[in-house]
Amino acid sequence: MNKETLQQNHTESTQVSRRQFLEAAGFSVSLAVLSGCGRAPIQTALPFAEQPVGVIPGVMRSYASTCIGCSAGCGMLVGVRDGRPLKMEGMPEHPISGGGLCAIGQALPLGLYDNHRLKQPLKDGEPADWESVDKAITEQLASNGSAVRLVTSTVTSPTLQATIDQFLNQFTDARHIIFDSVSSSAILDAHEKTHGTRLLPHYDLNHAEVIVSFGADFLGTWISPIEFAKAWSSRRVPTEENPTMSYHVQLEGRVSLTGCNADRRYRLSPDEYGIVLSHLAVEISKLAGKTPPEGNLAASPISAEELSDLSHRLWHAHGASLVISDSQDFEVQLLVNHINHTLGNYTHTIDIERPSYQCQGNDAEVVKLIEELKSGSVSALLVAGTDFTHNLPDHDSLTSAISNVPLVISFAQREDDFASLAHFVCPDHHALESCGDAEPISGRVSLLQPTLAPLGNTRSVLESLSLWSGNQSSAYEILQASWKENILPRVQSEVKSKSFVHSWDIAVQQGFVELETEANSVGEFQPTAVKLVTKQPVEDEFVLTLYSKTGLTDSSHAHNPWLQELPDPVTKITWDNYVCISPTAAKELGVSDGDVIRVETKDGPSEIELPALIQRGQHDRVISIALGYGVRGTDRFANIGPQWLEGRPTVAAGELVGKNAASMIDINGGLFQYSRAGISLHAVKENRPLAATQEYHSLELPKHIAPPGAEIRDAVQTTTLAEYKANPEAGAPHMHHFSDKQLWAEDHTTSGPLWGMSIDLNKCTGCSACLIACQSENNVPVVGKDEVYRQREMHWLRIDRYFMGEDDDMEVLHQPMMCQHCGNAPCETVCPALATVHSEEGLNEQVYNRCVGTRYCANNCPYKVRRFNWFTYPQDDLQTLALNPDVTVRTRGVMEKCSMCVQRIEDGKIAASHSGIPLADGDIQIACQQSCPTQAIVFGDMNDQSSEVLKALHKPRNFKVLDEFNFRPSVGYLRVVKNRDDNHHEGGTHE
Amino acid sequence: MTDKTNILRQRIITVILLVGLMFGAATLLSGMTSWRLPDHEQGYVPQQPINYSHRLHAGELQMDCRFCHSGAEKSRHAGIPSTSLCMKCHKNVTSSFDVLQEELNLADEEKRKPNQVVSVELRKLYDAFSLDEELKPIDGVEPQSIPWVRVHDLPDYVYFDHQAHTAVGVSCQSCHGPVESMQRVRQHSSLSMGWCVNCHRDATEHGMNGQSVHASTDCAVCHY
Repeated sequence: MNKETLQQNHTESTQVSRRQFLEAAGFSVSLAVLSGCGRAPIQTALPFAEQPVGVIPGVMRSYASTCIGCSAGCGMLVGVRDGRPLKMEGMPEHPISGGGLCAIGQALPLGLYDNHRLKQPLKDGEPADWESVDKAITEQLASNGSAVRLVTSTVTSPTLQATIDQFLNQFTDARHIIFDSVSSSAILDAHEKTHGTRLLPHYDLNHAEVIVSFGADFLGTWISPIEFAKAWSSRRVPTEENPTMSYHVQLEGRVSLTGCNADRRYRLSPDEYGIVLSHLAVEISKLAGKTPPEGNLAASPISAEELSDLSHRLWHAHGASLVISDSQDFEVQLLVNHINHTLGNYTHTIDIERPSYQCQGNDAEVVKLIEELKSGSVSALLVAGTDFTHNLPDHDSLTSAISNVPLVISFAQREDDFASLAHFVCPDHHALESCGDAEPISGRVSLLQPTLAPLGNTRSVLESLSLWSGNQSSAYEILQASWKENILPRVQSEVKSKSFVHSWDIAVQQGFVELETEANSVGEFQPTAVKLVTKQPVEDEFVLTLYSKTGLTDSSHAHNPWLQELPDPVTKITWDNYVCISPTAAKELGVSDGDVIRVETKDGPSEIELPALIQRGQHDRVISIALGYGVRGTDRFANIGPQWLEGRPTVAAGELVGKNAASMIDINGGLFQYSRAGISLHAVKENRPLAATQEYHSLELPKHIAPPGAEIRDAVQTTTLAEYKANPEAGAPHMHHFSDKQLWAEDHTTSGPLWGMSIDLNKCTGCSACLIACQSENNVPVVGKDEVYRQREMHWLRIDRYFMGEDDDMEVLHQPMMCQHCGNAPCETVCPALATVHSEEGLNEQVYNRCVGTRYCANNCPYKVRRFNWFTYPQDDLQTLALNPDVTVRTRGVMEKCSMCVQRIEDGKIAASHSGIPLADGDIQIACQQSCPTQAIVFGDMNDQSSEVLKALHKPRNFKVLDEFNFRPSVGYLRVVKNRDDNHHEGGTHE
Repeated sequence: MTDKTNILRQRIITVILLVGLMFGAATLLSGMTSWRLPDHEQGYVPQQPINYSHRLHAGELQMDCRFCHSGAEKSRHAGIPSTSLCMKCHKNVTSSFDVLQEELNLADEEKRKPNQVVSVELRKLYDAFSLDEELKPIDGVEPQSIPWVRVHDLPDYVYFDHQAHTAVGVSCQSCHGPVESMQRVRQHSSLSMGWCVNCHRDATEHGMNGQSVHASTDCAVCHY
């Protein structure tokens, strides 16, 4: 615009034109913007005033400790960096867990950095200081201490047990009641009857050739799942030299994780366990030449041939077989004991001389306490380690009974249901702030180290109880004193000959000790105690089974968003509980997924309304609901995901995550029954969509579109042991035309190692520990229910679950799926920004700072493993402390995916370069591999001829997913082998 | 709408625009002194809370870099020494040598015990370490970190590892420049990606200290 036209414009109009205004305003703004091009905000670097010995900023150090996420007591290495516990890893040397750590253990840091944990004691719901609380409690205990009842969950800690005993000894009428939110009391009671001692046996699956489980989800949640999974998997590896496997039969009403992994799975309603066990007991007694238990046999739901086959298999493996059940039916557990005794499994696969202390819940005692509470005879009620009222039925009458107790004390870490009733809440430390010990199995004691100073003004239960017993010691002093006196003198190794300080240091450093224990004296087996079960189930009623979700277990972890967003390994649903119902029953009821069902008991007023989930393989008469939901305070997750125009809250106003199904627990025969008959279902005209991470469930193609011979997709390949023996490569597809033609020039430069991975699908149970390990290591955000519903979850590692077959002959397959680091990566060729490129070491790299978010790569990824940051996912200040400083926190608009823990690879290489010792196979362990309880994941250098990963990739069972497209993935899978003789489903051998 | 109101309105707008222009120019001018492109901080010399001199310590006194920055060989971060490490020497050295000598001479002349002479800068160190006038710990006051200002600051998506570089013998000066001659530390190199990659390429081609090295230029060597 020249001067003349400007002049003209000016004369034409006396106003500033829109254009002129924008020009001038734009110039001013750009000047201001340019002036902002100075330095970024000044950053300060704060060194220690006094550097603690051994702490190097930026270096992660591991401390041996024990996971107390549940009572299984797995060994754990707490990775602490710059004073922050960040990454939980399994302790490979630990005598119980042997290197695995489940999802709950992995998720501990997020529970630690939680704003909703109590920061100080409460007195009548108001914040108070310890001094006044202690004073009031000791005074009230002195005046009111006639009938003191202390309720805890299972106490495996010998030190805490001693402190509890000492505390209770002060009172004339004091009792310690052990209440497990999911109890195994019937097993203990049955052993009291048959063996004279109330105990929980230690099951040794390492030596079990035949495992028959009636409902016990021992790979998922039952008693000690990490230990069991490791032991179970040790017999699930057929090799060419030794093609043998254990035989695992699961009989269950719902579909459990363990059922998914069984060689043979029968659908059996929990009220039929007794009948089938009776038949087995009779058959096995016959085979053993002993008299069977008294009673008549009812008609069995399982055919005579199959029962005979099963009993022959069990008898054939006598002394190396195992029958277990999670039933809370006393009669059923007696039969289980009888069968195991007849098979001679005691002292072989079942150890009762050195029993387990992992579940000590005594339901009869709890029932007695409830009666006492209702009669008003309790003067002081103390509860530690469990949310007493949340986990029991009959909530209203129980809470009103508790409101009449003169002194109610809770040790809860957050204001849970019971704490809201308590006069005093004396919050315990988080597991990572605590000092303690655990003896989960007789003679195996491990230590719990605090890894940071308590974040709030909390206090260990140990300290609180001993203070109220008149002893002012710290938890550390109490623990040391207890070890000096009781533990270290009984240690097996030469450690005990050393001075206390020395042997204590060794114990702390290695995290556990093994004790010389005297064998528990157990009485003779009482066969007369056992009777056959004859009660026939009622056919037209539903049976409700209440179960724990893998990775959430009970209400104590409900505040952990990682665990809430962890898909259930079987249903793949997040952020909710629901009613699992069989397809047939759903059809009869006229409901589909998400339709709300009202579940009513016949004899009681209990009812619950939850959305339905149609579950293949579920018994037609059985519905199942997960416990541990509907936890007080979980309404906090309403706004957990990104907040945007179309976003819907994770939890509706006034609601909680899921609903508490504890109201449906039946108390029968002094035992908490997690399955009950007499259930009626009513469809409510309402739909509550469930957020699932997987919406395709079958590997079978519909008949009318499947090409001949390809009715079953071969993404997961399976075979049977019989076929494997005949041909180790059985199960490989033959119809595909493999192409090694290259579209692109072979222009990848390579140098040094070539990283690869192998996953043994026969060992992988689908437990999802790796998923949380990955989330914790790689700063994967939580997105909330609505985003999961929109298929926008961010997990870098997902576990695909496929069903094959129907009903009684259903097979379930799990397949961990993450970036396959393809040699011919389809994502790399379409990225316009070169943000995803191939490294010299065979990795498919994602460069966040280059990514512009076109999402072409995700479109072109055949494995669908790429995740897009649709938002910047919000986190509160405290939660950010759980972030791994070695991994970039991605921002909105950036693609991300599994990096094969490249930060660990780089760390490993640098450490090797620093020490001058070349990298050896196994030096670098990636996050998912490290925590895997069954060591199903192997990672290493494929250029190293002796590496484990190369050996695995050369196994005849090895296959690659979508191999026919020549993507050349760096991840191999080992085919599933089921221990079966038949050729069912023609699993994978479609020619 | 009358002409009068139009003119009035135009004047107001003109005044607003002029003010805007002046403000923009003023802020730009004031920023010009330290003006540089984003993420390009070469030559940055921030004022530190204590006027610590690398020229004195690393230059004249020839202290090894790793005496204070011991993390360089063990960790990702070279690290800034803890105050207690400073105190290893500065428990005794409370001021510059000249000043201390002068006081000693004076005391000698006046036949008295020499007074404690504490320099202004070292007083800041003692304050941070909560030491009183006689350098005794003050009861109930926790030692505080000294808020040093970061000179070399890489973006959050870049992972530089000191240990990796010291392990193959890259000298501190190759990146940080002649720190031993700097009174106040200045960012010597650009620390841009091109600068990193050039050095990596060079090292792979020509080796490092006579030894062949493979300094990868894969993205994931630094970005993850």
